[in-house]
Amino acid sequence: MNILYVEDEAKIASFVCAGLKEQGFVVDYCDNGNDGYARAIDFEYDAIILDIMVPGKDGLAILKGIRKAGNSTPVILLTARNELDDRLAGLNLGADDYIAKPFFVEELIARIHAVVRRVSGDRQNILRVSPLKLDRITREVTCKGNDKDEAIELTSREFNLLEYLMRSPGRVYTRTQILEHVWGYDFNPNTNLIDVCIQRIRKKIEKVGGEECLDSVRGVGYKFRKPIQN
Amino acid sequence: MKLKSFRFRIALLSALLAGCAIAGFSGITYLLFYQSKLNALDSDLRDQLTRESSAPRPDFHWRTYEQHRSTFFGEQNQNAIAILVIGANGTTTHQSQNWQTEFYPESLFPPLVDLRIFNLLPFPPPNANPFPDNPQNNLPSDRRPPRPDHLPPRGLNENPPIEDLRSVKPPPNDQPPRAVPNNISSLVTRNTPNGKWRIGAATSPFVKIAIAINLQVIDRDMSAIQNVFLIAVPFTLLLVMLGAWWLSGGALKTIKNITETIRRVNAKGLHQRTAITDLDMEFVELVQVFNQMMERLERSFLQASRFSADAAHELKTPLAILQGELELALQHSESNAMQATLSNLLDEVCRLSSITRKLLLLSLADAGKMTIHKAKLNISEILYELVEDIEILAPELTIKLEISSNLMVMGDRELLTQVLQNLITNAIKYNLPNGWIQIQEKSHVNNVSITISNSSQDISQSDRDRIFDRFHRADPARNRGVEGFGLGLSLSREIVRAHDGDLKIAPVITGCTSFTLILPIYL
Repeated sequence: MNILYVEDEAKIASFVCAGLKEQGFVVDYCDNGNDGYARAIDFEYDAIILDIMVPGKDGLAILKGIRKAGNSTPVILLTARNELDDRLAGLNLGADDYIAKPFFVEELIARIHAVVRRVSGDRQNILRVSPLKLDRITREVTCKGNDKDEAIELTSREFNLLEYLMRSPGRVYTRTQILEHVWGYDFNPNTNLIDVCIQRIRKKIEKVGGEECLDSVRGVGYKFRKPIQN
Repeated sequence: MKLKSFRFRIALLSALLAGCAIAGFSGITYLLFYQSKLNALDSDLRDQLTRESSAPRPDFHWRTYEQHRSTFFGEQNQNAIAILVIGANGTTTHQSQNWQTEFYPESLFPPLVDLRIFNLLPFPPPNANPFPDNPQNNLPSDRRPPRPDHLPPRGLNENPPIEDLRSVKPPPNDQPPRAVPNNISSLVTRNTPNGKWRIGAATSPFVKIAIAINLQVIDRDMSAIQNVFLIAVPFTLLLVMLGAWWLSGGALKTIKNITETIRRVNAKGLHQRTAITDLDMEFVELVQVFNQMMERLERSFLQASRFSADAAHELKTPLAILQGELELALQHSESNAMQATLSNLLDEVCRLSSITRKLLLLSLADAGKMTIHKAKLNISEILYELVEDIEILAPELTIKLEISSNLMVMGDRELLTQVLQNLITNAIKYNLPNGWIQIQEKSHVNNVSITISNSSQDISQSDRDRIFDRFHRADPARNRGVEGFGLGLSLSREIVRAHDGDLKIAPVITGCTSFTLILPIYL
């Protein structure tokens, strides 16, 4: 997937680019708004990530320009400035999503996938990681049981948690990361919310005879077990 | 006793001062008026005495004269005059019915002056004072020549003298009785049971006359003046008072304006000023100084709030770098020990980010720049999800739920979720073992109120007052081990207020803490 990334802070750009590349994205990086705008007009991308405060044309101006040119590529705005104002302006100008600094690269990746999915239709709505199959639209989860696929009933929190972990099997998610993404809690690390939720999902999978797939990482958080490649 | 109202005091004081001045003036006026009336009376009395004693009269003349004189002062004063006439031979020729014995006329009649002296005019010679008590009264009357413009009483038939008056002829009617050697006593005032009388007496070769006039004649006139004063003075005082009230009201208007401005400052922010146009000169400086003060306050307040906004903003970039690098390192590290360390570091960075974000939001709220991205929002849904969390977080708590489904409000989903989370996590944190949480919702015409109550220890009044203060945390001993930094409630309230709603703590109920969130309804 081709991504255009406009950001003037080199240190932030370095880990964002690294994180995106690890996930298989092809990243085109610019450190100023004028170049960024030119590239957004000249080339075609799957998604554009814009920092609002960049030298030259700022993020909002680029967004305005490309929308005016009839380009409907999904755009995610990044900012460290007055979040509320920028979010309002960004959404009014036709941004697809918005992330405030500081952010988790993982979260950014999730958002990119979400906006791309939204634009491109239902291509990637089914998420399959053995032994589970998850439908993002119908919010149904089925599990490969002893002999046949069985449906699992999940609450909305449980579904969101499972979906989050299933995006990158083998990747470790910290509790804070999970809380922020699934619950939207600002900060509350002393909670057993995640543990209880994970226990419930495990029990539900066990009940239909599915194999164990949610691993706890001691002192860190959880990860979805990476299926062994056949 | 001190009167509370400055305005009332001014009105009262000006009425008091005006009252003193008016009372003084009216007193003096009254006295002067009385004096001039008395003088007029006196001169009339003297004229009468002079004329009546200047010529011999027949006995019946006195009755007509008395009748004529008694009508002179008007119908009401019929008995205002009393006359005593003693003939040349010493017998009483005429005595009025209301003649009082207390008049003691004997002492009044001046002695008859020797005729020879009269022949050597000018008139009159110094005379022995019959009333040594009033020597000054004596002089003018004795020295005064008879008035030349004297006219005889109208309607009085001037009879020719009957008696032989030796060489002295009665004067013609239009002539002053220059040649008549009459002598007029000084006028005195006598107190009798039926009032004060002004008495004058004259002695002439023909007759001795004493005329007394009751001073009621003047008193009646004076009482009319008195009535005018009694009506006019209170009325004037009332006018003065109203005027002072009105003027002081005008002066106090500026004070009122300033009060109004301060009230607006409380409600809307520091940019309020009092208009300087249209002001009385005396207040211009006050208002100028006040406005300058407000300007300085606003500037330093904005500086302070911009400082924390700038600080929070400057912190964001390094925090973003830290968080990103730690996240990357966590994914790349192989050993679990390293992952645990990095995860802890990441937690701390997140905590810092969270504080930074809240401070930024608070400083935005202080500067009045918390702009809200409002959208239609199903608040029941958010509440149901949160209730699901309560069941996981605190399974021992009893949850009482009174929420209607599909409750719509206008608001920012992210911020309002944060507010509700904050209230609910507080309700869990500060609950009693095996306690309860109650979430109640009430819809009104324009707004929705959501009350979140929980069983708890009682909160002291001082803590209640400061519960929305920043970085305030109730009783540290009680909250040991409870996470938080005391920004939650204060930020929650700012968020709700930016939504044109309000967040309040309910009054004391023993064993219970209750917060009420009011949000405008989606119509």
